[in-house]
Amino acid sequence: MTKIDPITVEVIGSALTSIVEEMGEALVRASYSTNIKERRDCSTALFDRHGNTLCQAEHIPMHLGSFIGIIPHINKRYAAKDIKPGDVFIGNDAYEGGATHLPDIVLAEPIFHGDTMVGWAVNTAHHADFADRGHAHIYQEGLRIPPVRLYREGELQQDLQDMFLLNCQVPHERLSDLRAQMSANRLCVQRMQDLCTKYGADKVLAAGDALQDYAERKMRAGIAAIPDGTYSFTDYFDSNQFSDVMELKVDITVKGDAMHLAFDAPPQVPAGLNVIYTALLATSYYAVKAVIDPTILPNAGLSRPISVEAPHGSLLNCRHPAAVDGRIAACQRVADLVQGALAKALPGKVTAAGNGACTGALFTGTREDGSLWVYLETIGGGGGARPTADGLSGVHVHMTNTSNLPVEALELEYPLTLLRYELVNGSAGAGTWRGGMGLRRVYRIEADCRFSVEGGRLAVYPWGLEGGLQATGSHFDFGNGQQNLPGTVQLRAGQIVELVTPGGGGYGSPSGRSLEAIRRDIKEERITPEFAERVYGHGAEQKIYRAATA
Amino acid sequence: MALRIGVDSGGTFTDVCLFDEETGKLDIWKVPSTPDDPSRGISNGVSEGLATVGSTAAHVAFLGHGTTVATNALIELKGVETGLITTDGFRDLLEIGRQKRPSLYDMNAEKPEILVSRDRRQEVPERLKSDGSTDRSLDEEKLRAAIHKLADEDVKAIAVCFLYGFLNTAHERRVVEILREEMPDVFVSASHEVAPEFREYERMSTTVVNAYLGPVMQRYIDRLKLRLTELGVPVAPQLTQSNGGVIGFDTAAQLPVRTVLSGPSTGVVAAQAVGGMAGFDNIITFDVGGTSSDVALLQGGVCKLTGEANVHGYPIKAPMLDIHTVGAGGGSIAFVDSGGLLKVGPRSAGADPGPVCYGRGNTEATVTDANIVLQTLNPVEILGGRMKVRRDLAIEAVQRLADQLGLGLMETAQGIISVVTANMAKAIRLISVQRGHDPRDYALMAFGGAGPLHAARLAKELDMSRIIVPLTPGTLCALGLLLTDLRSDFAISRLMKVDQNAVEPMISGFETLEAQAEAWFEQEGIEPGRRVVNRTADMRYVGQNYELQVSVPAGTVGGDTLQALVKGFEQAHLQRFGFIAEGEAIQIVTLRLEAAGIVNKAQFTPRPDAGPACDAAVIGSRQVYMDEAKDFLPCPVYAREKLKPGNRIDGPAVVEQMDTTTVILPDMQATVDPYLNLILETRA
Repeated sequence: MTKIDPITVEVIGSALTSIVEEMGEALVRASYSTNIKERRDCSTALFDRHGNTLCQAEHIPMHLGSFIGIIPHINKRYAAKDIKPGDVFIGNDAYEGGATHLPDIVLAEPIFHGDTMVGWAVNTAHHADFADRGHAHIYQEGLRIPPVRLYREGELQQDLQDMFLLNCQVPHERLSDLRAQMSANRLCVQRMQDLCTKYGADKVLAAGDALQDYAERKMRAGIAAIPDGTYSFTDYFDSNQFSDVMELKVDITVKGDAMHLAFDAPPQVPAGLNVIYTALLATSYYAVKAVIDPTILPNAGLSRPISVEAPHGSLLNCRHPAAVDGRIAACQRVADLVQGALAKALPGKVTAAGNGACTGALFTGTREDGSLWVYLETIGGGGGARPTADGLSGVHVHMTNTSNLPVEALELEYPLTLLRYELVNGSAGAGTWRGGMGLRRVYRIEADCRFSVEGGRLAVYPWGLEGGLQATGSHFDFGNGQQNLPGTVQLRAGQIVELVTPGGGGYGSPSGRSLEAIRRDIKEERITPEFAERVYGHGAEQKIYRAATA
Repeated sequence: MALRIGVDSGGTFTDVCLFDEETGKLDIWKVPSTPDDPSRGISNGVSEGLATVGSTAAHVAFLGHGTTVATNALIELKGVETGLITTDGFRDLLEIGRQKRPSLYDMNAEKPEILVSRDRRQEVPERLKSDGSTDRSLDEEKLRAAIHKLADEDVKAIAVCFLYGFLNTAHERRVVEILREEMPDVFVSASHEVAPEFREYERMSTTVVNAYLGPVMQRYIDRLKLRLTELGVPVAPQLTQSNGGVIGFDTAAQLPVRTVLSGPSTGVVAAQAVGGMAGFDNIITFDVGGTSSDVALLQGGVCKLTGEANVHGYPIKAPMLDIHTVGAGGGSIAFVDSGGLLKVGPRSAGADPGPVCYGRGNTEATVTDANIVLQTLNPVEILGGRMKVRRDLAIEAVQRLADQLGLGLMETAQGIISVVTANMAKAIRLISVQRGHDPRDYALMAFGGAGPLHAARLAKELDMSRIIVPLTPGTLCALGLLLTDLRSDFAISRLMKVDQNAVEPMISGFETLEAQAEAWFEQEGIEPGRRVVNRTADMRYVGQNYELQVSVPAGTVGGDTLQALVKGFEQAHLQRFGFIAEGEAIQIVTLRLEAAGIVNKAQFTPRPDAGPACDAAVIGSRQVYMDEAKDFLPCPVYAREKLKPGNRIDGPAVVEQMDTTTVILPDMQATVDPYLNLILETRA
């Protein structure tokens, strides 16, 4: 193996980061569908020859789950000698394709330098399609694609593409987004080849290995700082898509510089809420990294000291044919679990629970020309209070970080009017530091359409830490007297739908909050004077709250 | 005698460039800045500068200045108490932004401070639709109540931003009228005037930042005007904007948001002029300071404008030169992280305590310390002898890193340079490779205090074969002020497909912009013969969300114009994304008009060739560590001010001047051009 010094590793590492970032920008800027171009629901990565993540652009942590699955599946299906320059593999299946749910379509292209394969260019984009489907099992959720060649040695396989597009509700957007995904991978291939020419492929490969060793060392150093022992936490998972509240548990065992996460969960459910193992892995890696050291490079090395298990056939490690479309909801709870357990191991380093949901609203309808439109958005909420600061309001937490769509773009493209988009007063968990505030979106429907909303924390709310109080939960009002409905419903023009997302939990006892902060919260209408009196008030200070609002 | 004066008012120094229009003589004067009231430093600098060249204020024919007043007020959150009036249901937009958290993994990361507290964000019943029509008319009674609340809060500025305010300005205009009645002294910033463009959050953010900075800028300008009048300067002073042009004080006071990136922009303008003189059209600028580096790309002598940027966490829609900043400079601190890799920056030792070698108590090695250890920088004294340095301390600091890395001292010092060079290269790749330009087709223009020191290594990293080091690298921004035009940019968002139906709205859109430009020309007193306009359109495929800027040919808009636009767009798309989507409809989103008032600029005269020999310029020699030899090599040291046109220096060598040091690597040679620029090339 080529020997390599730490400085060259850093220099080549810099170049690799540039490459995945450039891919990400190219993908967002050249794409057509709202979900990618504005909401940036896509990710890009570079993999080594063996299918290990080398570098991932900082977009959506959940997507790592799709990435870590696909190369092993390709290698299982195709002999190395049959994989040629210019081949492009497409895949989306949770069981045979390495992805985590069907709308995340992955494109993977091998990178050759001369005759040697030096890595893989991989990106995934969430195609807002396969809408208005059932979720009893995965066959209802959309077209399943194992990793197959969309391009053979640079040549488009038109037959395959035609078949794929016929199964999509908005084929025009799918085609354009695939083009953007193609161009992102092409850039990656080109840049990686240039890098190999400049430094020599041996050196680049050696640097790739060294970067993984490096992330591993950092992760081990972080884990080693935690006292040995087993740290347990229990949280509850609910969703408007399923009637039961489910108990989820984790035991995190730290021994030396290694960590084992053992999850327990009820059996998989006949709803699109199940989590495939690679999604559980991606979530665990995210949550551990965020607590231990956010600066660890997001490559496969960081996962080496971490092992993860959950009962096969359970909600958190489902088996065929469980439906997986809304897996992110349960993954958000997994992140909460890991944080809750690590809060015991590392007091003062972990935040209270964030909104813990990834509230998704999906509208579909027919345009005047008969074509279909599909609009997906996910709504953030409160972030958990931090040990030294209030939580962030109106943000996505943990496994996702998509943008909202500008109101002016939303209303231009779809027959919807947004009447309110605001923070929810009183939604934050109280504490020395309060949580962030949840969001409210109120839509007026301008033309009949089909609609579904998916969200959690309706029954069991985001928890506080160290004496901080819980936040408020989700609430979905369909404007016709009905609330929190599962599945897809019909909406009529003029109907008004209101979606409310959870706040974040508080940190530290409310009695520790400064009067100045309480007064500011009242003045800014984040809390009412009555709430302040009830939760924060004690004795003489009550006067102050009244005075502040007099 | 007619003098043109450029003043760059920075955090530490105020640089004054004086150019005598008749003799072509250029003088530079530096005075300490006065951050509590920058106008004092400017006034001092101008009067001292005039005295040095033996002139008086009466001879000043032009005075342009660059200021960081707006930028600093934004960074330090020293704007005024500000209110916001917006559409009912949307006051929290300013806080929610695009609903993304600031860091993916770091849960302690903060969003930027919100400039208007929630109780000062007033909602007013009104609503426009996406076609500009009215869904709900403006409730003036509620509006007045909202204004009274803001008046009670004693706000000094009010931003007005309604949904679709860029399409239909009626509601916003009415609010402005009523504000004038109710609060005649308040500074008003309305979104349709500040940034009449699509996307409400970014427009709101821009409008709010403008309001927040308005009174600060007004106060500063009033003071400076007074001081210059007292000095007896007979001309109206000009101020730089982020677009690289200058503008009159009155416009600047109304649109301070357009000056937040003005600092580095005049450096780019100067680079453009210097490149023109030296015969280079395609240039990548490389401006290295203590804590950061600014890079920009000039194709065909032009730096593209960008319509939006994120400034210290605040999205701002304003015409700005496309300059990218990276946290890598001379003061950037090197460290070994917990995984055992060597990292440099973005933390910086700043000017105080500064690098370890300054001996002011910092013990963490910086990029400057690595250069002192390698002796690329003078290991005894820098800044033309003004400051002694302690190489022994720098060695100790770098040695500590070397011990951690298990590497040798020199290897580690060189490693710090390699890592910081990689960070700088990343910034340059972003503005070149990522936008479809090959850096090998460009010359690197190095300036700022540390640009010429790092340029050779950076050029090697990027396979760039030519480097230009201007005569006064440390004061290039001040020089740029003598070389720029009056400039203002106008934009209007009009979404339309590129087909025959677009002709009419394009004509009327550009008529609106031309009328605005005319009014501006009049306001600035620019003579008709000196007015230049340039039209562009932001275009995309229907359904895309990011636009590419395409040039609109001169003349009346017609079928030919559309064809040219389509062709221009396809070329741009191919360059940027590598493909053309045949048969897809193309859309215009925003029409833009750049208006320039051509001013007399400093003209530089070439000097006669003095031949290649330059032994007379050698002021000594020192051992410099060169990675190529993995050892110290003897290098002659040249004094920049003694170099003459035609002089040729073979590397390895070092050229020193008061404000910078230029390193010439062993396989390079440098020649002095007729304008005294130093041109470094790889030796054949």
